[in-house]
Amino acid sequence: MSKTITLKINNKIITTEENSTKRLLDFLREDMDITGPKEGCGEGECGACAVIIDKDLINSCLVTIGSAEGKDITTVEGLKGTNQFDVLEKCFAEAGAVQCGFCTPGMIMAAHALLSKISKPTEDDVREGISGNLCRCTGYNMIINAILMAAKRGDGLW
Amino acid sequence: MDSIRKSVIKADHEIKVDGSVKYIADIKFNNSLRAKTLRSEKAKAIIKNIVIPDLKDGYYVVQGKDVPGVNKVKVIENDMPIFADKEVNYIGEPILLVVGPELEEVIKILNEIKVEYKEDIPVFNMRESKDIFAKYQYQKGNIKDAFKNASRVIEEEFYTGYQEQAYLETQGVVGIYEDGKTSVYGTLQCPYYVKDAVVQALGCKEDKVRIMQTTTGGAFGGKEDYPSLIASQVAVATYKTKKPVRLIFERVEDMSFTTKRHPALLKYKTALDENNNIIGIDVDVILNGGAYSTLSSVVLQRSLLCAIGVYNIANIKVKGRVIKTNTVPSGAFRGFGAPQSIFAVEMHMAHLAKEIGCKPLELKNKYLVKTGDSTSSSGKFSHDVKLEEMIEKAEKMSNFSDKYEKYSKENGIIRKGIGMSIFLHGCGFTGSGERDFIKAKVKLLKYENGIIEILVSNTDMGQGLQTTFKKIVARVLEKNYEDIIYKNPDTDRVPDSGPTVASRSIMVVGKLLERAAIKLKENWIRGEEQTIEENYKHPDLIPWNIQTFNGDAYPSYSWGINVVEVEVNTITAITEVTGIYTVYDIGIPIDETIMEGQIQGGVIQGLGYASCENMECEDGKIKQHSITDYIIPTSKDVVNMKNILVDNPCDLGPFGAKGAGELTLVGTAPAYAIAIENALGVKVNKIPITPEWIMEAITNE
Amino acid sequence: MVEGYLASTFKEALKILNEKDVIIYAGGTDLMVKNKNEASLLPKFSKDLLYLGNLSELKEIKEYDSDIKIGAACTLSSLLRVESIPEVLKKAIRNIASPAIRNVGTIGGNICNASPAGDTLPILYALEAKLKLVNINSSREVNINDFILGPGKIILNDNEILESIVIEKSNFNKIYYEKIGARKASAISKISFVALAEVSNQKIKDIRIAIGSVGPKIVRVKDGEDILIGRELKDIENLISKVKKVYSEKIIPINDQRSTSIYRKTVALRLIQYFLNIELEKLEGGNSNE
Repeated sequence: MSKTITLKINNKIITTEENSTKRLLDFLREDMDITGPKEGCGEGECGACAVIIDKDLINSCLVTIGSAEGKDITTVEGLKGTNQFDVLEKCFAEAGAVQCGFCTPGMIMAAHALLSKISKPTEDDVREGISGNLCRCTGYNMIINAILMAAKRGDGLW
Repeated sequence: MDSIRKSVIKADHEIKVDGSVKYIADIKFNNSLRAKTLRSEKAKAIIKNIVIPDLKDGYYVVQGKDVPGVNKVKVIENDMPIFADKEVNYIGEPILLVVGPELEEVIKILNEIKVEYKEDIPVFNMRESKDIFAKYQYQKGNIKDAFKNASRVIEEEFYTGYQEQAYLETQGVVGIYEDGKTSVYGTLQCPYYVKDAVVQALGCKEDKVRIMQTTTGGAFGGKEDYPSLIASQVAVATYKTKKPVRLIFERVEDMSFTTKRHPALLKYKTALDENNNIIGIDVDVILNGGAYSTLSSVVLQRSLLCAIGVYNIANIKVKGRVIKTNTVPSGAFRGFGAPQSIFAVEMHMAHLAKEIGCKPLELKNKYLVKTGDSTSSSGKFSHDVKLEEMIEKAEKMSNFSDKYEKYSKENGIIRKGIGMSIFLHGCGFTGSGERDFIKAKVKLLKYENGIIEILVSNTDMGQGLQTTFKKIVARVLEKNYEDIIYKNPDTDRVPDSGPTVASRSIMVVGKLLERAAIKLKENWIRGEEQTIEENYKHPDLIPWNIQTFNGDAYPSYSWGINVVEVEVNTITAITEVTGIYTVYDIGIPIDETIMEGQIQGGVIQGLGYASCENMECEDGKIKQHSITDYIIPTSKDVVNMKNILVDNPCDLGPFGAKGAGELTLVGTAPAYAIAIENALGVKVNKIPITPEWIMEAITNE
Repeated sequence: MVEGYLASTFKEALKILNEKDVIIYAGGTDLMVKNKNEASLLPKFSKDLLYLGNLSELKEIKEYDSDIKIGAACTLSSLLRVESIPEVLKKAIRNIASPAIRNVGTIGGNICNASPAGDTLPILYALEAKLKLVNINSSREVNINDFILGPGKIILNDNEILESIVIEKSNFNKIYYEKIGARKASAISKISFVALAEVSNQKIKDIRIAIGSVGPKIVRVKDGEDILIGRELKDIENLISKVKKVYSEKIIPINDQRSTSIYRKTVALRLIQYFLNIELEKLEGGNSNE
């Protein structure tokens, strides 16, 4: 049963005949050449593959393209250029939230997903919001500061 | 003009935040073949036969006999094969690569290959092994007399476990053979280590090998020597197949089979006189090197050199050995032998204090080294030691002594505890390695248009060299750091400025860059292309003798104080960290925010080492080999920290900066352990301190 | 190669399930890990898949006079946003994995995965949840403790789908939940503990205790609860060791890469003691452990 799957990725409508059980992460990285989402573990533990689907933060290594059909998928590449991304980028820079950068795209998506739901988060809200994104370099606090800073600076954006 | 330390936006910030920077797995190499490793199923065996099925067109097996040069990975000794062909020494040891265009077929072939082994008896227990990779010993004063005259001898043993680097980006290399030249791209710390290894593997001339570091997603020592193994493998594979070969590890494979921190057994024996003065300390260290020697001899050296920590003890004997077991080889991990020893010596001093009946800080204060004191290896602390000032600051920040007193009297379900550790880290390569082996060289290239490029072999793995190196050069030449070029090193273009290890990059290489920049400034010719070279100059030190293990092992030291506060739930034995305070002397910071990042990241890794990062090897296999089972802290497991720096510029480093990369991990574990002792009245001799252990300790009270 | 089926209605899904040998899933967070393959390769599914996550009939939450009906394909995070969902269930959900997992994982998946460490299970056992199983022809209702036979073993027939979970409304005014994991997020439970009590006039009218990760199935011991039902609060202290003895015989945890048998058992018994000693005495409706 050959089926065409239609996906909306970073505001573009994509159709594919790839097998519906293909992981969204693989489709993004191999078929779309979107390499922001990373393979850190393949088990949904590290969050390096995190994308946003219909406003929810989701680990793309655990989702098939079949179950993502008809949904709105955003990666860091799709967020780039928005005002929200600009604020996050500046705050991540000032707060020293980026070291090796491997967890960063996932952290940006987690931050955006959180702020989209809670525009004025507490520190605990932020810790919770990125609790599924592992970072080995920073010890997290500078990332949390960056997100709290973005919430303040981005007043009205989320 | 602002001080150099004023924070700037990191030079590589944008490309990391917008996801555009490419790590090795992100890069598409045309016509590349996928590679998978066939690994030994036995911990110790002779390989009798390898039966390979018929291979489809375009699929290859790459093994020992395909190695054109020497089938050994060039590290310090040449004991590790690139592809095990005669015998295997640990479960997981690489025997061959299967290489081909479709990964599915590659895996299918891999599963069909049959290896026939003649099994031997493996040694797993580090206490039982008689196979020694390296051993050293040194003394100071008269240890025999000290123990003869002792009123009391206090003896105890410590154990520290494995620690997995758990960099977010797994190991990965791509080898490309083209026009008689072999190139290897990869996530790595030491391009020239890899180059030397590949040259040896291919048995070719140096100009036939090119190594290029790709942006590295964390390393922490785990990519110091391991890439030499896999780079050699893909180099041989691409040489054989004449096609690009891509070897990227899955997480479970990485956790199961790559190098980890050496587990350690440390015995401390202290002689006290009738007035409870410490008159002698005898230390005996065993490190578990795993199946091959890798960097173990140097890890042992560092471990022995800081075995007495920050204390000036007149009579000491320190000896140690790294032994072989049929397990995954141990390797480099931030701290490199120091975390093990500092844990042991700080806990031992805390336990001695209890034995004597005084407070830990009281005892420690009595023996703190001072400026000008001799080091344990009879070198000299010739630069200022500011421990007293640092302890004072730590006390003020954390209220340590008052809390320690208060918490030791508590009852109740939730018990609070606080602990302090005092520690040091020798900056740079141990011993005379910098002068005799590395012989670092840096280059500054000034283009006709005045743009400057930094040519060094050091790599940014997140610690910020892309920014700090640029700041150093820019500051001297009064340029904007953003206009300086510094690309990921390519051995075709950069000189060997040494590996990115041992907390040497800023102090040693940064200093060379500072000097080169000064030279360029003084000899600047407008409109002309200029290349300035600077070579390492060994400072005036008490000469280091590896045989007698005597002299200045390091040119300078960085210092740290950690205070950790905890709450232990006595019903569940779960510990929560409620406060972390640190004071560090790293000379001066080249960038305050980058330094803060090193502190926070290092401290949390140290915290994991002490608490949740439990890794056991059972019957030669790593039990916790997935990111689900090997527990590193999440954002919910950490607390905000209060960190301060004490300035202590050292002329050996650029603008006074000293080494900082490893220091920040070294001290958390004993501070945490002492806090648990304070909270529960138990005695901790082992890390990680798991809830399971705590429960046993409090139910046995 | 494996195919993925998508139904547009529940009825259609039941039909496909009746005709084809497929694996049903709504979230897939456990399924994808179990069938994980190398990066860039298709997951190693042994059968075709039938995706249920988009079926609105399985995502309804209806509140009735005496109970609440929860669609099996409701994601864990969606349940956190609905007022009628019992607070104790929300407590357990908040401790599951991470936001990204909770956004995809479903309550039905957590039940059907039947892991001894399943985090919603102790709550559902304590609340005596009933499960509605539906096939193309009929439906049946089973108690959750009859549904799960052991680790990964459920009585769901090949052509059945778990449609919904029914929880009776209750009057518990003492609620205690504790999850012990290796870290505060993304941790599989070493042990999880829930205790619910209805206390009025200083008497225990009803009490339920359920413990996870201490045996092949969730441990709920009616005999232990019966010792306490009808008793006055002031008498509880004298009953604790008797209660602990009853539970001790039923708590048989294992050693694994996460924890030890003795740790799990010790914590379980201590939590029972803690709840009976301290939590029961606390002020109305309060829950102190967070």
